[in-house]
Amino acid sequence: MRTATLNDYKQRLLRVLVHIQEHLDEGLALEELARLACFSPFHFHRIFKGMVGESVKEHVRRLRLERAASRLKLGAQPVVGIALDAGYESHEAFTRSFRSAFGVSPSGFRSSNRRSKVAAAPSGLHFADARRVRHFKTIQPGGKKMEVKIARRAPLRVAFMRHVGPYSAVGKTWDRFLPVLGKEGLLGGDTQFIGLCHDDPEVTPPSRARYDACVSVDERFSPTGEIGVQMLAGGEYAVTTHFGPYDKLGRTYTRLLGQWLPRSGRQLRSCPCFEVYLNDPQGTDPKDLLTDIYAPLAAQSSISVR
Amino acid sequence: MTAVNIKTIMTKKTPDKIDLYKQHKNEYAAPRKPVFVETKPALYLAISGQGAPGGEQFTASIGALYGAAFTIKMTRKFAGQQDYAVCKLEGQWWSDSGNDLSKAPKDQWHWNLLIRTPGFVTAEELQKAVAVLIKRGKGQEVKRVRLESLAEGSCVQMLHVGPYDQECLTIARMKEFAATNQREFHGRHHEIYLSDPRRVPPERLKTLLRCPVRPQSRL
Repeated sequence: MRTATLNDYKQRLLRVLVHIQEHLDEGLALEELARLACFSPFHFHRIFKGMVGESVKEHVRRLRLERAASRLKLGAQPVVGIALDAGYESHEAFTRSFRSAFGVSPSGFRSSNRRSKVAAAPSGLHFADARRVRHFKTIQPGGKKMEVKIARRAPLRVAFMRHVGPYSAVGKTWDRFLPVLGKEGLLGGDTQFIGLCHDDPEVTPPSRARYDACVSVDERFSPTGEIGVQMLAGGEYAVTTHFGPYDKLGRTYTRLLGQWLPRSGRQLRSCPCFEVYLNDPQGTDPKDLLTDIYAPLAAQSSISVR
Repeated sequence: MTAVNIKTIMTKKTPDKIDLYKQHKNEYAAPRKPVFVETKPALYLAISGQGAPGGEQFTASIGALYGAAFTIKMTRKFAGQQDYAVCKLEGQWWSDSGNDLSKAPKDQWHWNLLIRTPGFVTAEELQKAVAVLIKRGKGQEVKRVRLESLAEGSCVQMLHVGPYDQECLTIARMKEFAATNQREFHGRHHEIYLSDPRRVPPERLKTLLRCPVRPQSRL
């Protein structure tokens, strides 16, 4: 069952990888790619990054550069045209990217004797005829084994304040939110502090990323001013603890969704992940911060056998 | 107006948040071998009780103490008053037979749980916080939270790394160190929880152990 599921995840991603190679000149919208792989758009990007070892954006960018390298070598098209095809608006930007990927400038590469050039790729997948894309290396979980528990949660009523902007600045929203609740006696010892990330900061421009700072409340609390109320879905969740600073949370999400999940025999539900903050970032060293990450699991019976 | 002036004005916003542990760094020395530290009188939010750590009353008391600490802090913050970081949990432990806990069963242990608080926090603020927490149905335990000043003076202090039930080994070293320096333990054993036992495995837990001392009596 386990290997079948990992294989299933791989097959689904392979459809996406082939599609990307076939449509390198198109927009390649994430929703479309997620749909091709039958993944919820909430989670697709992290699963992709965790399994392929680079984000969708990085993957597309690298393939376009590799294609540019092959065109430089094989054709006589001017560098500017090749740069445009690779998605660069200026010769300079293209040269910078090309040099950082291959260690040589585009014109230097064209006049050298080297036959072909590929950039480093953890998945071992390079620019090729889409028909030849049949396999890729999944990233192996490295380092310490990830501890993941399956937990059943009851639905939870939370008061929340929406933050729109870079995730690195959510502290400011908490700073405005907590005093309003605190002075009303809503922060008791059993209160849960939760962050709900609606967008993946690697996909959505930071200025538009949405995040809800949430605090558990009972049914007596009613929405007021900037503070709304919502329910966090109950049900089964995969839970892992992130140890350390909040700016490294993304890595733990990627490991959970991209490495643990495909080997777990489980699939995700289409609702966002959330994080539960176990200690107070104001009086805690960043390296001692503890955060539980919850990924919503689909009921087990819904695993489809392809 | 000079550039320097402008800079002074621009940075002269609300005063910085107070971090008591940073302000009194010398009192929180955490070495792997015993040292003497001089502590000044300090104000704490406190709640006391009897019973095994981890028991129902103990857990509810921790919740009540944090509830009071956050409510007082956030009420001040909302009113635009001096902000401060809520300090870590601390605790004093003793038994009816004295300060040596190893001789008493756990359910007879007395504890006084503490969160250090800036000296400007008043009893009135605590009363208000208790009232709103009760009103919101956050439990009756919070009524037992009080403001308490501790003056421990000269203390032996050392970092204990490992499970709480192995603290006796560290305490023995501290006692020996005190004796070598013609001092003896006097007063309650005090510990400061630097790690969070909810996720940190017992062997990695860091706890700062402190015991007030006085010159050895010459009997």
